[in-house]
Amino acid sequence: MQPILQAKNLRFCYDFGVPALDGVSLDVHAGERIAVLGPNGAGKSTFFLCLNGVLVPESGQLLLHGKPVDKKARKMLCEQVGIVFQNADDQIIASTVAAEVSFGPMNLRLPRNEVARRVDHALDYMDLQAFRARPPHDLSGGEKKRVSIADILAMESEIILLDEPAASLDPAGEERLEHVLARLSDEGCTLLISTHDMDFAFRWATRVVVFADGKILADGTPQAVFGDAAVLRQAHLRRPLLMEVWDALRTRSLVPLDATCPTTVEGLEQLLGEK
Amino acid sequence: MANGHIHGAHSIDRLAYESGMRTWNPVFKTVLAVGTLVLCLAADRPMVSTAVILVLAALQRGKGKLPLRDYLGLMLVPLTFLLLGGVAVACDIALTPVCDWNLRLPWFYLCVSAESIRFAVELVLKALGAVSAMYLLALTTTACELVDVLRRAHLPSLLCELMYLIYRFVFVLLDMYGRMRQAAGARLGWKDFRTSCRSFGGIAGNLFVLSLRRSRVYADAMAARGYDGDLRFLEEEKPVRAAQIIWTGLFWTALLVLAIC
Repeated sequence: MQPILQAKNLRFCYDFGVPALDGVSLDVHAGERIAVLGPNGAGKSTFFLCLNGVLVPESGQLLLHGKPVDKKARKMLCEQVGIVFQNADDQIIASTVAAEVSFGPMNLRLPRNEVARRVDHALDYMDLQAFRARPPHDLSGGEKKRVSIADILAMESEIILLDEPAASLDPAGEERLEHVLARLSDEGCTLLISTHDMDFAFRWATRVVVFADGKILADGTPQAVFGDAAVLRQAHLRRPLLMEVWDALRTRSLVPLDATCPTTVEGLEQLLGEK
Repeated sequence: MANGHIHGAHSIDRLAYESGMRTWNPVFKTVLAVGTLVLCLAADRPMVSTAVILVLAALQRGKGKLPLRDYLGLMLVPLTFLLLGGVAVACDIALTPVCDWNLRLPWFYLCVSAESIRFAVELVLKALGAVSAMYLLALTTTACELVDVLRRAHLPSLLCELMYLIYRFVFVLLDMYGRMRQAAGARLGWKDFRTSCRSFGGIAGNLFVLSLRRSRVYADAMAARGYDGDLRFLEEEKPVRAAQIIWTGLFWTALLVLAIC
């Protein structure tokens, strides 16, 4: 199957010398849910900005639907790959919520009624209709986060990159976020999320990519990546709680030895019930 | 501010967002405010000025749902200056007692005549009428809508975009400043004058560096959503109602009649 987005050997350097990305290659297939893990400063955010076309890599190539992205196609990249910034305040520029959400579609030069439709849809999606005429400086942190996600939904991108979306959210906000992510995924949207929440990555992702020092250290299913002790040590990652529990159960032979670790608590309960 | 009390630009902004007249067409409001302002100044009659002050206050209260207390509080700010200025206009200084009332001071007389008092009162009324007209705009129209009106009036788009972004960043910077202030306070940064000066200097420097960095992140975030040098948003359509035009016409006609009679 043709990947919808391919990065080939991307290199990127900020002004201060050390390469932020040092030969990163990744194929993204339609409908994947990819968790991007790695310590702070490993290059996750830089990688996202390169995929969206904001940063231009020094060398390497991006392919969108198999076609190389050159200067002309950069605008296409913005349109197809949306990015939700980590800090919502870094992203919100307009003075009302509705105007803010309309910024992306307006830049796509869509007709007025299409922009209005998309804004309405995005506001409904994130449950923000009640806030549409409010100024952003009036909103709470969680509400601002929802606005910043609605911003990108209104662009109707095929791929959405979220940079640590759960940071600074309360438990209710996290739950709401996961609900939205699940719905997006069901609707066929391809998602890449950088996160430090191992438990979330384990239960949500179909694929885990680990960054360290500007390189991709590991790339595989959650079970495979979190099962690799060397990778976890090198990238300073923690094993998900569920895997720890699984191991404890296995050493006491409470679960079948040949079964693989389920990714959700419900899955574990089901397995234990069978036994 | 929590109990809706009014202080500073922050609250004028909030009043504008909460105003019942926010749904009115911004261009119409601008025309109404500027037209009334011009009429009030051109007529130069105390009757006209008084009518403008009373009618606009009633409008803010009735249609704008603005608490009278807030409105009077905001009016008090220019009123203080106007009254002080009015006193200065009414009084005259002379070496001999020439006017109706004279106050003898060591080397000169402070004199006030009925004519000068009337002139001062008329001046204060006229200025207050003008302030009411501007408040009609300021307290019911959000800053971004005002920028939009200016854009339609063919102000260069670069200026409009700058105003728009500055407006947003005022709040971003205020927010950053507030948090740094608290953080400094938590470490006894304001315990005496010397420390306060140092804390303030530190915060100011930090704010500068941070705002530079933030501006770069903002540029990235805007580019990520396809910004290509033209800041555009979807404006909510706010049609002008016939009743609004009719009432405005009546109001202006009444003012004209008052001015001529």
